[in-house]
Amino acid sequence: MGSYACEFSERPEMATNDTLNKKMMERLINETDSVYSLPLIYERLTEVINHPRSSITDITRIISEDQGLTARLLKLANSPMFGFFSKIDTIDKAATIIGTQQLQALALAVSVMEIFTGIPEELVNMKSFWQHSIACGIIARTLAIYHRDINAERVFAAGILHDVGRLVMFTTIPEIVKEMIVESREEESLLYWIEENRFGFTHANVGGRLLANWNIPESIAEPVYCHHSPVEAKKFPLETSFIHMADIICKALGIGSNGEQFVPPLEPSTWERMGIPAGSLVEIVRYAEPQLEETLAILGKNAS
Amino acid sequence: MGKILTDNLAQGMILTSDVLDRSGRLLLKSGTELTDRHLYILRTWGIVEVDIAGMEDNDTNATPDKTIDPALRSILEDKIMPLFLHADLSHPFMHGLLRMRIQREARNGNQ
Repeated sequence: MGSYACEFSERPEMATNDTLNKKMMERLINETDSVYSLPLIYERLTEVINHPRSSITDITRIISEDQGLTARLLKLANSPMFGFFSKIDTIDKAATIIGTQQLQALALAVSVMEIFTGIPEELVNMKSFWQHSIACGIIARTLAIYHRDINAERVFAAGILHDVGRLVMFTTIPEIVKEMIVESREEESLLYWIEENRFGFTHANVGGRLLANWNIPESIAEPVYCHHSPVEAKKFPLETSFIHMADIICKALGIGSNGEQFVPPLEPSTWERMGIPAGSLVEIVRYAEPQLEETLAILGKNAS
Repeated sequence: MGKILTDNLAQGMILTSDVLDRSGRLLLKSGTELTDRHLYILRTWGIVEVDIAGMEDNDTNATPDKTIDPALRSILEDKIMPLFLHADLSHPFMHGLLRMRIQREARNGNQ
């Protein structure tokens, strides 16, 4: 994976409890890996998309085998998010118009949302969790489009998955998470600061590592890994900035919830990198908001 | 001078800097007194904010903000400010978000 920020050992500040922390991270990832795994269809899809000699027909054949996935992808393609004039009624058309890489990113988001179930209600309300995640995805995608980024759907997927590390923590160490939530209330501290103090890593790092473990493209895993520490992003700093800012926007506007009570602080360099006028914020939110409900309705059914 | 959102502009306001589109082409010159026609041009070209004479800095959302009832506003601020405890509100991004949150909640009638 080269000089990829998701390589845990490269974090220099973790000299002292390094081995312990590393073991903890491994434990979280392994336990999650043994219970939850990406559906086989996603792996096959990735294989075909990455194969130089495969055609759109090969790709659509694989997706079409899964009726649920097919239905949701078509609904997404016809939702206000894309705003296409004519109806996209086959995966074939969707792949041609949206692009295969983009379709893969959407399939990833849909697949991951399906696999995490059974999270205790007292830790987080899953409906509200996915509301936050989907809003983050849509706003990050809007920022990407504003910035004329061609990989908007990957940014969308990264936004939806940015807090997947929280789900890992909720399922593997629910008692410790409960303690940390109480601590954050009492100390008026950000939850991810408490995670960092306790483990030497945050839910962002856990999420990025899990995705890297699942061989998800780095353009998605690194922004997830670095969404609270965007200056650490080496390969995809721009994508990371989109996720970092979109997360803050959703928290600040109170769209959904993810277990964190405070609005996370902004890394000012991400704002400078984006180079958008402050007034555009209103426009961006106004553009993103109508897409929110419909996307939530399409993706949210299986995520409650 | 200060920036103001295109949506909040009115006729007779005076530009204090040139308005350029995203590729840098000049649309309106500094010193122009805005007419209906100008407002139409700004909207057509997707200009979200311009510099206007006599506005305070960072007062982008000045106009809609004033429509919130002061009593409601103070209730909302008491409720919302603690969430922004770790945010640097002197930054235009965070400042803008705080304003938007207050407006949203005022609009939704949450107290």
